[in-house]
Amino acid sequence: MTVATAAAPAWTHKPKIDQWIAWWTIPVFYNVFGLIFVVLTRVMPPPRPDITPAQIVQFFVDHSLSIRIGFALLMFFIGFASVANGLIALQIKRMSVSPVFAYAYIGSLVVGGLPGCLIPAFAFVAAALRPDRDPQIMVMLYDWCLLSFVGSLGCFCTQNMVLALAIFLDRNDVLPKWLAYMSIWMIVTELLAAPVFVFRSGPLAWNGSISFYLGTVIFVVWEFCMIRLLYVAIRNQQPSEQIQD
Amino acid sequence: MTAAARTTAVWAGLSAITLVSWFLAPAHHAEPVTASTAITIAVLTLALIKTRMIIGEFMEVRTAPVWLKLATDGWLVVLFGAIVAIDLW
Amino acid sequence: MANTSTAHLPASKDLWVFVLGDFVIFGSYFVIFMISRRQERDLFIESQRQLSLNIGVVNTLVLLASSWFVARAVQVARSGEFERARKLTIGAGLCGVVFMLVKAYEWLAKIAQGHTFPSNSFFMYYYMLTGVHLFHVAIGLVFLGVVYVELRKRKPLALVETGATYWHMVDLLWVVIFALLYVMR
Repeated sequence: MTVATAAAPAWTHKPKIDQWIAWWTIPVFYNVFGLIFVVLTRVMPPPRPDITPAQIVQFFVDHSLSIRIGFALLMFFIGFASVANGLIALQIKRMSVSPVFAYAYIGSLVVGGLPGCLIPAFAFVAAALRPDRDPQIMVMLYDWCLLSFVGSLGCFCTQNMVLALAIFLDRNDVLPKWLAYMSIWMIVTELLAAPVFVFRSGPLAWNGSISFYLGTVIFVVWEFCMIRLLYVAIRNQQPSEQIQD
Repeated sequence: MTAAARTTAVWAGLSAITLVSWFLAPAHHAEPVTASTAITIAVLTLALIKTRMIIGEFMEVRTAPVWLKLATDGWLVVLFGAIVAIDLW
Repeated sequence: MANTSTAHLPASKDLWVFVLGDFVIFGSYFVIFMISRRQERDLFIESQRQLSLNIGVVNTLVLLASSWFVARAVQVARSGEFERARKLTIGAGLCGVVFMLVKAYEWLAKIAQGHTFPSNSFFMYYYMLTGVHLFHVAIGLVFLGVVYVELRKRKPLALVETGATYWHMVDLLWVVIFALLYVMR
């Protein structure tokens, strides 16, 4: 009696299924991101820079377990961002510009993701692991996390510059020109995150109305647009389309 | 009036209004400088006039579709209204 | 004859998304500035005196002139005089460069006087607003460069109008910054 070899399920033959799987990692990632950074680790919105060491220690005592669980989760999910960026890079390669832009896009997100997500995670986790440390060390870990989390936004300027330039030069209309203009807003708000290195209170501190809140609002809008535009781009893509190497 | 003459007239008007601010600003006053509601209103009014002229004439919104006129006028009203309200309430 | 609308949307819709959005973003900065100002009014008025009104007026006049150049460039391009349009575009660009140089000089002068970014709230806003604006001027110069190249090709003027509209936006934002930082009390 022969054993029939299993054929691949029909859904795996759906056109562009590979891109759709990649696309789905994006909303999943951002929902998990929200759970981790807002609910569990309390990094968003950031606690204040201008509190006393005793208050900082108390913060870590209060949230010790949820910080460690939240960032443990991040270890698994952070990679999803790489999948999303791979998808965006592919769409950039569909444009009539050199794949240099796609490679630069991926590279600049690696540069940004380290101080943007991972370094803050380890600083907070170290503090949360032993909240009975010397308070000055706790303050340093607190500063390290939040300065890195907010202040490193400038690292993402290259990502936005590359995307904007690619879209402006693109003759294939893969992504609309207004996304390029929105990316310029992102650059502005990212530049305005750098002053958190200078101010410990006010709108340009890491919890400031300009450096943090306005930047976050614009980022959320941009991300919603990006998710929707990627959906449309994949949907409109011919399965037989030749994409440059 | 030709388009060229109109543009130049607009520019001249904007520049003249700018020079008026030279007289309104604090640096010229020898006596101690204090907040002045009258000057605040005057300065903001002039700024509103200038911005509306730039939008209407230079950015050609005057001859643009209605939705753009409403959007730009709306922004001006909200912005200057907020500025005045915050300063004076 | 049917009553057709003569409304003409200059520049692309995409650029207007940017312009209107930038208006809202800068508007937020201005409102936040005003709230801070209200809380420390005396400090703001006293610090304002440290600014050079003359430099502020010069910069305003320079940008207004640059807008005139750009507006004229669009007009003469529409009547086919591309060579003249290109010269006017260069005029606008030179004004933009002058603006940036004057701004750099002004910043250096303020820093030499001891007024740095974190000196006080007023100077925080001063450097922040003029800095973000300066970034927009720099982008504007790039756009003007594109306009110049487009005029050489003598093709439809959509990109020329786009660059021009962006430049007027930069001019407009400066007018508000000038009023709030240098003049208003």
